[in-house]
Amino acid sequence: MAQSLTHGATALPADWRDLFALTKPRVMSLVVFTALCGLLAAPGSVHPVLAFSSILAIALGAGASGALNQWYEAGLDAKMKRTAGRPLPAGRLDPQTALQFGVGLAAFSVFLMLFAANWQAAVLLTVSILFYVFVYTMWLKPRTPQNIVIGGAAGAFPPLIGWVAATGSVAPLPVLLFLLIFLWTPPHFWALALFVRSDYAAAGIPMMPVVAGETSTRRQILFYAVIMAIGAIAPWPLGYAGALYGWTAALLSAVFVALSVQVGTRTTGEGDLMQPEKRLFAFSIAYLFILFGAVVADHWFPL
Amino acid sequence: MTPPDLPGETPPEPQPFDEAEYRRRQRSRANLMGWLLGGLAFLFFFITIARMVVPK
Repeated sequence: MAQSLTHGATALPADWRDLFALTKPRVMSLVVFTALCGLLAAPGSVHPVLAFSSILAIALGAGASGALNQWYEAGLDAKMKRTAGRPLPAGRLDPQTALQFGVGLAAFSVFLMLFAANWQAAVLLTVSILFYVFVYTMWLKPRTPQNIVIGGAAGAFPPLIGWVAATGSVAPLPVLLFLLIFLWTPPHFWALALFVRSDYAAAGIPMMPVVAGETSTRRQILFYAVIMAIGAIAPWPLGYAGALYGWTAALLSAVFVALSVQVGTRTTGEGDLMQPEKRLFAFSIAYLFILFGAVVADHWFPL
Repeated sequence: MTPPDLPGETPPEPQPFDEAEYRRRQRSRANLMGWLLGGLAFLFFFITIARMVVPK
């Protein structure tokens, strides 16, 4: 049985709450939602049991990626205030348990996807887990400030996997949804990085504000927000989504760009509360939830 | 190897083994594992049925 070393030299079994925390449940909620939207927006119908199982497989795959990420980054997490309380840096769980849990969960999620959906979706799920763990966590994150730009692809997979689980093939709309999350990731994470900059600097992670400075990061947030807005509205004029999605995307993207202009054009001094950055970060989460909800609503109730 | 005690320094007290906590964790994990395996058995059963029902 997996053990954790929390009481001096006495081995205690790992608490299930710590194993659950290892899966990054909050990140998983966005993954599950976007995957579900990809699946529901696909043409045709899916048996509810198979749909549920496919979404469960994606959720477990995301959980496994989170667990393996925390296993690899335990040392860095210990140096950051935001993450020091996680089970591994806090010493409530031993690394071997976390590694076994992550690998086991990853293997099971792929097997479940293969059994419940199709091999195409299982391959995509495998690629997304491997990409997140090896390309993003181990290779890009400690080396380049472009880590989340390229690594954002890992988080962009869920709607594509959901669609492929339902249909067995790739189509333009899920690729555009992939692109939307891919372009949304930089302004979302850089807004966060601006107000937890000292944390990243302490851990030696080369996030954009630490390496390129605040001014450059702010300009890039604005740049990516504009491209993202174009990408978000694109399915409407291209004929892959209707007016309900189109108007929602146009309206919300306008607000996103407006908030990014605020962040992109200002300078801060000592003791700044970073309110515009926090506002942009919070709005970016709501933005993605509402936009993906609109994709499904547009498919089921077109205007 | 244990380092020699410095003058005036008391060695740390060994922490008592919490038998009750050990049992509680063991029980809660066993319960959880039971529920999970039961749930998976049901899930795989229903997936099999669904795949038989859904035309290829």
